[in-house]
Amino acid sequence: MKIFVMGIGLCGTFPASGGQSYRELIARAASQAYSDAGITADQLDGAVSIEEDLISGYSISDEYVPDQLGVVKKSVYTICGDFLHGLNSAVMTLKTGQYKMLVVEGYSKASNCLTKDETLTFAYDPTFNRLGVSPHYLAGIEMQQLLADGKYTKEDVANVVVQMRKNALANPQAAYGTNLTIGDVLGARPVAEPVTENMIARHADASIALVIGTEEVVKSAKNPVCISGMGWTSGNSIIERRPHNISEGTKAAAQMAFSEAKIANAKDCEVLYVSDLYAHRALMHMDALGLEKDAIERINPDGGVLGMGDLFEANSGARVYDAVQQLRGHAGTRQINNAKKAMVQGWRGLPTDSCAVTVLEA
Amino acid sequence: MTKMNKRVACIGAGMTRFVRRAQESTGELASLAVEMALKDAGLTMNDIDSVCLGTAPDAFDGIHMKGENLIAGSGGANKPYMRHFVGGGTGVFSPIHGWMHVASGQFKTCLVVTEEKMSPCNPHPAGAFKTIFDHTTEQPLDLTLIHIFAIEMARFMHKYGYKEEELALISVQNKLNAMDHPAAQIAQQITVDDVMNSKLLSWPVKRLDISPTSDAAVAIVLSNEDVARAQTKHPVFIEGVGYRLDTAYWCTRDLAYPDYVELAARDAYKMAGITSPEQEIDIFEPYDPFDYKALHHMNGLLLDKSGKKVKELLFSGSFARDGSHPLCPSGGALGVGNPIAATGLMKIAELYFQLSGQAGKRQVKKDCRRGVAQAWGDLMQVGTVVVMGNDEAVRGRKTFWSEAVPEQLPGTAIKNPQDVPHMSYTPDLRYSWDNGYALTTYLDGFKNGKIRGSKCSSCGRMMIPARSFCELCNLKAVEDYYDLPDSGTIETFTLSHVDWDSSMLPDGQINMFAVISIDGAAKKMGLVHRLGDVDPKDVKIGMRVKAVWKPENEREGNVLDLKYFRPLKDGEAIGEPKRIKPVEMDSTTAKAFPGQIPMSYIYTAGIAGAKFYNDFAQGRVSGTWCEHCQKVHLPTASFCEYSLKKLDPTKDAREIDAKSGVIASYTVVHDDRSGHQMDKPQVVVQISYPEAVGTIFGKLETSDVTAVKAGMNVELIPSRTVGEGLMFKTC
Ligand SMILES: [Zn+2]
Ligand SMILES: [Zn+2]
Repeated sequence: MKIFVMGIGLCGTFPASGGQSYRELIARAASQAYSDAGITADQLDGAVSIEEDLISGYSISDEYVPDQLGVVKKSVYTICGDFLHGLNSAVMTLKTGQYKMLVVEGYSKASNCLTKDETLTFAYDPTFNRLGVSPHYLAGIEMQQLLADGKYTKEDVANVVVQMRKNALANPQAAYGTNLTIGDVLGARPVAEPVTENMIARHADASIALVIGTEEVVKSAKNPVCISGMGWTSGNSIIERRPHNISEGTKAAAQMAFSEAKIANAKDCEVLYVSDLYAHRALMHMDALGLEKDAIERINPDGGVLGMGDLFEANSGARVYDAVQQLRGHAGTRQINNAKKAMVQGWRGLPTDSCAVTVLEA
Repeated sequence: MTKMNKRVACIGAGMTRFVRRAQESTGELASLAVEMALKDAGLTMNDIDSVCLGTAPDAFDGIHMKGENLIAGSGGANKPYMRHFVGGGTGVFSPIHGWMHVASGQFKTCLVVTEEKMSPCNPHPAGAFKTIFDHTTEQPLDLTLIHIFAIEMARFMHKYGYKEEELALISVQNKLNAMDHPAAQIAQQITVDDVMNSKLLSWPVKRLDISPTSDAAVAIVLSNEDVARAQTKHPVFIEGVGYRLDTAYWCTRDLAYPDYVELAARDAYKMAGITSPEQEIDIFEPYDPFDYKALHHMNGLLLDKSGKKVKELLFSGSFARDGSHPLCPSGGALGVGNPIAATGLMKIAELYFQLSGQAGKRQVKKDCRRGVAQAWGDLMQVGTVVVMGNDEAVRGRKTFWSEAVPEQLPGTAIKNPQDVPHMSYTPDLRYSWDNGYALTTYLDGFKNGKIRGSKCSSCGRMMIPARSFCELCNLKAVEDYYDLPDSGTIETFTLSHVDWDSSMLPDGQINMFAVISIDGAAKKMGLVHRLGDVDPKDVKIGMRVKAVWKPENEREGNVLDLKYFRPLKDGEAIGEPKRIKPVEMDSTTAKAFPGQIPMSYIYTAGIAGAKFYNDFAQGRVSGTWCEHCQKVHLPTASFCEYSLKKLDPTKDAREIDAKSGVIASYTVVHDDRSGHQMDKPQVVVQISYPEAVGTIFGKLETSDVTAVKAGMNVELIPSRTVGEGLMFKTC
């Protein structure tokens, strides 16, 4: 069964979004996606939202999903994962044959959360891993090991930041486009050495909505894009027994997605996105996908997480939004020539190695 | 929805004992249930293609993104793994998500795991429920879950004419049924009088109307039909599923009847080919966190808004295990316990036991072909429904589960987490929520002593709180604002003796909360607020009330500017809705609303952690030998995350030379846990030991952070402090 992205909406990204409630922010992306898909909300069977409790400031955040999507009393559930986990789950929902059209939604009101590092610390295992220091410590451990392997230098890591922030400059929707040098990045304030402030994505506010549907309902959409492969895998949550120089989660997720999409490897895709929530992670993810480090010039044409901002669970939603634009030939000055296939890799962020890969085709 | 053609079967189940406080950590609880479920299904982790996890709020276990922490214990390491969430409905949604994994054709098998550890939450898990309410318009009222249940129960009794002692019958029956359940936490033989005489918490809710808070995990194995037929002669199939989520504006609907359950049930019945649920379903496991809830949900499951069928069945004794419509033969949440997500899956497991003839003493008297389980959650808002069936009725099978006694189920009950190695922790979780366009005008109304609504030009509803789109009209923009009369009618209410954190209010204090439909707003469109200037005995549904405002100079632009509603006096005038100009947005009028999640935690270090920290305090390091991996796992482990086999941290302990540790990786950290720059940077090290797989993370005591190198030899500094006590020094 073939599943299609029928419509997309993105409101953001903004360093802060005062004047719009989270409901208003989401309603805007949803409305965009519905008109892009040529549908109205009442035609949907339901929704899959991607979010996590404490970041939103609620203890049962899924309560606050249906209204601003216009899907009250429909089949709605929440995935606590990266946006791609939610998208992949929604695809499975459609593939059961019992549902035809869903909206997939993720958002970030990061600016409304005043204690973000504290919240991330709270994600570490209480028995063994809350050490009383910055939750970015695991990024420092990872990058240290990655450099020790000798495949990458710290300049390579800094170059990821330079590239992404530059890409974002060409994207009018990106919050953090700018020109930086490798020296700027390496010389920035150290947070968890060798990780500097500039190597950690800043947060941003945004909402993203996708309408996906089966072949039966895709007709209403002018520019559908096919979801041809999906995979997801979580590396061990016991960080003491997980390798920190490779992303096993990405490797396994890619295998699953590529075999479904019938492609040999990531190089078969013209458009590539990897999670660059931390700069070194972009290289780790590329490595797991079989991409050499000079491929960084082709990665994340939208500016990635470093350029568009950390949207928590919604991160890969912004990548999928851009991927669909690219495959439709609607990406403006950042359009990649002859874009036929796009691969999006997503990561849940620390302390996890929970990763997902989705392949899209024009 | 169409009749289901891809069959997905449940072929195994496992569960821990349900206890008030477990010594096991979050992940350890899950691992115990998983190990049993695999054994029951006759499979190993190698046979498991995918894993999905259901667990309710992060605020219970006290771990943000707790699904990620639960990967290892759920068997999700290096597997396709996802966590799904629909609040209290998560338990029965879990097999639905598992069904999606298999019915989509994506996987042959899916391990479905649910876990809830509510006991770390202090002072009481109920406190976590304060932050399920709308942060801006409801949380300032200090509401918690028991209030909203009481409010719904009062409405249910009013609409369907139930007396409190009639609802108590469910509590009595379910706790009795639970006497035969090996996992049960509060199985007991009680009478209706016991329920009626138990402590009044929030009228009409009494202590024995409620299920307890619990720690537990439950797991099941789902597979496609081919795998199922190969593994068992008695597979139990998922025949239909449904899940529906209603609006979060819970004061805008009649709480007496769960439309969302009915809609979910209709979806499930359509897939299962059921047209008359009363005749075609043999066993019912509706969610019963409160006694009235089982009946409330049964009305929805029988698609009967009149409530007549359920009343007849209740009063004729048909809900008993030997009756025509056995209800909660497991003992339900009221008897077995209520570790939210795990409770729902326990109900699914009960259908599996009953329909595969291995329910032992709990086996219902009638032959059964079909059962339905249901869970509910959020703000009286979500219904999740699963219909299961077998090929032919079967009974009297002798299996582990038919004979199981409490001693055979894993899970270690403790009285107090402070009796075992533990850690206290208070996260600092603070927020400032953007009010946005509509709520800015709404809260400005409170400052001006007005209740403000906005009107949808499509459906014509006057809505409160004011919103900038209509959730029922394809997100139609709503830009028309009104001041409404500050009077209304009580739709339902509670008289509460408990505070938001579950503590009892001072003697004589009663907090009265009511849902009030506001004059001038659309039918049933209301808000929740306090009542005052009225004797609690005189409060009635249908009573007319009017707002009492704080003096103008004390108002701050939040819902507490309205002190409470008092009875409307005879002949007192009521205003008319008046169209107003909304607040113009600029950088001074665009406000944000402050809030926080006010919880603190005491975590046990778990079974493995207890051994680890006892060793650590003596300057020793021990790993755990794993027969499956043929390796020593470090840190100490009570299960192997690759095979999900149980390990014994004491019996399988392997002493490791504590002086043999070397720095595998390290980082110099400049910020503290909240992101504030520290005066002195600290070094975090990852230490590996040649004799073990795995490492230990900790801090390095050093005066010169620049001298730290990978490969340096270190030894530990003995400590009993869990977490932050993990310190090393160079040898
Ligand atoms: Zn409307
Ligand atoms: Zn092992």
